[in-house]
Amino acid sequence: MSGSNALDTRVDLGGIRLRNPVLTASGTFGYGTEFAPFLDLTRIGGFVAKSLTLEPRIGNPPPRIAEAPSGMLNAISLENVGVDAFIRTKLPAIPAEVVVIASVFETEIERYVEVCKRLDGVDRVAGLELNASCPHVKSGGIEFGQSPTVLAELVRAVRSATRKPLLVKLSPNVTHIAEMARVCEGEGADAIALINSVQALEVDVETCRPLLANGLGGLSGPAIRPIALRMVWQASQAVSIPICGIGGIDNGEDAAKFLLCGATAVQVGTRNYLDPAAALGVVEGLEAWGRRQGAKRLVDLVGTLEMPKS
Amino acid sequence: MVQNLHEGGANHRLTLRVPGWPGFEPGQFVMLSAGACGSVPRTDPLLPRPMAVYRTRQDAQGTLVDVLYKRTGRGTALLAEALPGQQVGLVGPLGRCFELPGSAERALLVAGGTGIASVYELAARLMPRGDLCVLLGAATAQDLMGVEDFAALGVELQIATDDGSRGFLGQVTRLLEAALAGREPGTSRIYSCGPTGMMRRCAEIAVLRDVPCIVSLENHMACGFGVCLGCAAPLSDGSYALVCRDGPPFDASTIAWQGLP
Repeated sequence: MSGSNALDTRVDLGGIRLRNPVLTASGTFGYGTEFAPFLDLTRIGGFVAKSLTLEPRIGNPPPRIAEAPSGMLNAISLENVGVDAFIRTKLPAIPAEVVVIASVFETEIERYVEVCKRLDGVDRVAGLELNASCPHVKSGGIEFGQSPTVLAELVRAVRSATRKPLLVKLSPNVTHIAEMARVCEGEGADAIALINSVQALEVDVETCRPLLANGLGGLSGPAIRPIALRMVWQASQAVSIPICGIGGIDNGEDAAKFLLCGATAVQVGTRNYLDPAAALGVVEGLEAWGRRQGAKRLVDLVGTLEMPKS
Repeated sequence: MVQNLHEGGANHRLTLRVPGWPGFEPGQFVMLSAGACGSVPRTDPLLPRPMAVYRTRQDAQGTLVDVLYKRTGRGTALLAEALPGQQVGLVGPLGRCFELPGSAERALLVAGGTGIASVYELAARLMPRGDLCVLLGAATAQDLMGVEDFAALGVELQIATDDGSRGFLGQVTRLLEAALAGREPGTSRIYSCGPTGMMRRCAEIAVLRDVPCIVSLENHMACGFGVCLGCAAPLSDGSYALVCRDGPPFDASTIAWQGLP
């Protein structure tokens, strides 16, 4: 917001005020401090911390990751320190100016609610992101985000447990993403985030086994970007709450595509692994795009895709 | 990229000029992105490759970092075809370093395959204090890496090949058994890096001989700094360690070998 061609980059993501639309995605940014050597955390919009459960989890046996064309598969099974350790030891290490969104994952609705209650009174947490879509946890069976009725029950229960801004991160492993988006809006979610990784399988033809010890995994990276753009656009046609776009964002132009398709903010994910300063490059690239478009505010460009009428 | 030499077979030697290189300790590694080669960003293959820092040198313009690697898949094939002058993505140095031996301990460095690259700097640092022996193994003479560099250090050096084309005919761990024969417990320390089977055998020998053994594990990883959680190694207490953050060097007695991929 400086210089002769001032651009207002601020956005409001369902009550979470961000200095710019670029967040980093849960599971790709640790608890934030891991990235402090690589980038100034106050230059990005904020970050979504690794998904938290009621108790610590140790995760899946190896191999946990595998490469795929322009992407990667993972089956980590949400290894994390647990919600209490996050509040006690991880949050205090993050500079006060950094926006922190806590991601919540559990295997039962009652446990989701309990994790959210524990985070509700924590001032440093700007909002909650409900992970309804992890595709590789055996204990959960079908994903919460794959059934409209189960998803509705989950969002309703969590909504009544927290006054913090509530984002619901949607699973892409559904037939009608617009229906899932409407369910979230109807149950009081403040925003939706999409997409989570796409359920996938990769195979070793010599051993005749899956590459991952878990069998199935979640595909992320540039490979899923066009799928994510399609789903963000479809969701944006269905709801009026803000959308946070996720899926294979490597640079400012990728982020711009999500804004055009209706996303108010974005999350950089897998790219953080390969280039720990990537989110900063996305911020700069997005600002440059906003200026090229002659916009006064980035938010004015949201949803301006000229889609042919069908 | 200053130099990218093919050294026979699958072996390659890469020299990178790294501005702002902060220095490193033996056992640390870097993440190299062949995907960043050239001016056009590449997304396939997507992930960088973890590689040991072999050694560093200074010239008038700064620090040169040497990496030894084998062309084994798509990522290393792209790296092998990259030309001097091209840019390579590098994050590092990363990971923990080798704990050095006690003053009364003879250091036995046992390495095979690309694991040889992980122990060169350790040998170089231990050389002034003396009392070390380097045991290198490979399938054939052509598969050996860095032998001339170790020889140039003046270390006691023994070589084993599976086909007998250079040095001892058989596994390098047989040389380790011979090196430990007749020595009192508490007077040796094993450092091992290479194929899982070789490291596991070193760990077994260490138990039999009551000698401490440090293994430097290799694993697939997406980030190298403790975030992707992809490089989990199973520990004997049922938990997992991250090779990138908690290693690569580990006390061999803490590893659940049967759970390693």
